Amino acid sequence: MPVYRPALRLLLLIFLLTLLQPNPVLVTPGPRQQVITHHPVIGVHTRLTDEVEPWKIQRSLQLVREMGSPWIVEFFPWAYYQAEDGYIAWEHQDLVVEHAYAQGLTIIARLGWTPAWARPPDTPIAYLDETAYPAFAQYAAAFAQRYRGKVEYLIVGNEPNLSREWGYRQTTPADYVELLRVVYPAVKAANPDIVVLGGALAPTLEPIGSAQGLNDLDYLRQMYEGGAAAYFDGLAVHTYGFNFPPHAEPAPDILNFRRVELLRDIMVAYGDEATDMYITEMGWNDHPRWTMAVRPAQRIQYTLDAFRYAETYWPYVKVAALWMFRLPAPDRSHMDYFTLVTPEFVTKPIYQEIRQWARDEG
Amino acid sequence: MKGWLWLMIGLLVVGCGRAEDSWQRVQENGVLHVGLDPTYPPFAVATTDDLFGFDVDLARALADELGLQVQFAYFGYDGLYDALGARQADVLISALIIDPTRTRDFAYSDPYFNAGQMLLVPAGSPINGPADLRQTTLAVELGSEGHVQGLAWGRQIVGLMVLPLNSPEQVIEAVGQKEADAALLDHINARLHLAQTDYDLHLAPTPITVEPYALVVRAQDKQLLAHLNIALHTLTTNGTLDRLSTHWLDGP
Repeated sequence: MPVYRPALRLLLLIFLLTLLQPNPVLVTPGPRQQVITHHPVIGVHTRLTDEVEPWKIQRSLQLVREMGSPWIVEFFPWAYYQAEDGYIAWEHQDLVVEHAYAQGLTIIARLGWTPAWARPPDTPIAYLDETAYPAFAQYAAAFAQRYRGKVEYLIVGNEPNLSREWGYRQTTPADYVELLRVVYPAVKAANPDIVVLGGALAPTLEPIGSAQGLNDLDYLRQMYEGGAAAYFDGLAVHTYGFNFPPHAEPAPDILNFRRVELLRDIMVAYGDEATDMYITEMGWNDHPRWTMAVRPAQRIQYTLDAFRYAETYWPYVKVAALWMFRLPAPDRSHMDYFTLVTPEFVTKPIYQEIRQWARDEG
Repeated sequence: MKGWLWLMIGLLVVGCGRAEDSWQRVQENGVLHVGLDPTYPPFAVATTDDLFGFDVDLARALADELGLQVQFAYFGYDGLYDALGARQADVLISALIIDPTRTRDFAYSDPYFNAGQMLLVPAGSPINGPADLRQTTLAVELGSEGHVQGLAWGRQIVGLMVLPLNSPEQVIEAVGQKEADAALLDHINARLHLAQTDYDLHLAPTPITVEPYALVVRAQDKQLLAHLNIALHTLTTNGTLDRLSTHWLDGP
């Protein structure tokens, strides 16, 4: 027996050591911070939808605040959160909203994607038809009510002028107007303060009759023709520079940053000049091989010039949000080259340049 | 070595269901369908009546080695994997970096090129790696991955000054003009721009980062992959791969 005693003691010690685990890290939002910036037009589209760990959500949003961006756009997929019996899992949504609020950020929430129970079998997650509009409106209203005072803006859907954003259901602008007509009053009844944004139209040149979608200019005209103006408080738009500098002249057959001005002309033509615009996706890409990319130094210069341009010439644009701040994991495609921060939280030079500009008065 | 590889192929032939593998069909038809994105010089560029580049020549050399004809199919960079999955091609040869997250559906060959970051130094420089960068100036392309790496080194290496410049040409010029002791550039840009200068500069032998380009096949095409790897091995040992790399990256 004495021979075994040291071994038993060692085993007992090992057992006890395995019990000595540190407490899990407690990540609390903390008191509300303030974003310090001379350029409140700066915004970023975060990608926290698939970010699981609370500290990473908090760190991402801290970095947004420290960069001097008062705005975030974030996607909240209905499909992830609501069960067929109506139960809504709020935990992850709470995490994102509470941490963003604590960092002093203004949140534009983008809602979309349809749970399997609300769409026909074997349809893609983006598939949405009119039978599910009331259920979507109910979720949007619950969201608006729960986050009253913390989420001030809400986008209905995403890039409705692309057929893939409807799960390849062939739609017309009238379908989107009908969606707005169902969702808008429900959301407003739940939270009269919330600003409902329509559109988030994709910049595209698709002609009338294309199976892929419809160009944003014709789509917006048809939205107005269908009476959409009564069902949104602001227009969300996406605008990418691709290979063009930000000051390049816009034209209906060219996709560049100033396409916003063509959309604005349509708003004015329909007497909607009192309605503000919100750029919820924009930017340049510096992937080494993507044909629509620019060199990294150009990306930095174009991005800063674009912010300056929007600030100077577009009083109707409240935010210009860059796609996108950070990905939870590498995408190993050109998407990685839209980001400002790596998945490992290394800030890229473009982040540093924007932060510096946000601190400058000029 | 070669005998060992043939033994591996034999085992794969026995171990894998023949019906599932594209190799038998490729052999029977005598054609290898190669998918690529023809918008990425110098690896693949298509004009109205021509297709050329490193990957194009590599595909032809591999097909020759396997006794096959080659037929090219063009896809957008974003659509390459979908096209392979949808059997629009037998293999992708398109400067694709090995992606560990895709290995459930796809399999990669041995790497044929490393596109990672490289140190570029003047001839006779004592700088061979990051450890030699104390009290030096490192030129990088502003905003690039080399810039990010340089800034990380700047926090660790005593006296390292990082000099960001707007283009790879300016980066190389800075080293040539002795405004910087070394430069950090991706392998492709470093080689392409070095070929266009008269400065006596060269790449340090050890890559700083590894971004391996490889051929891609569907995961079930194990026999096809084994044959492609054998052919790739032959092209490496007989100097063909080096000749292609020199031709397309180092200029005439």
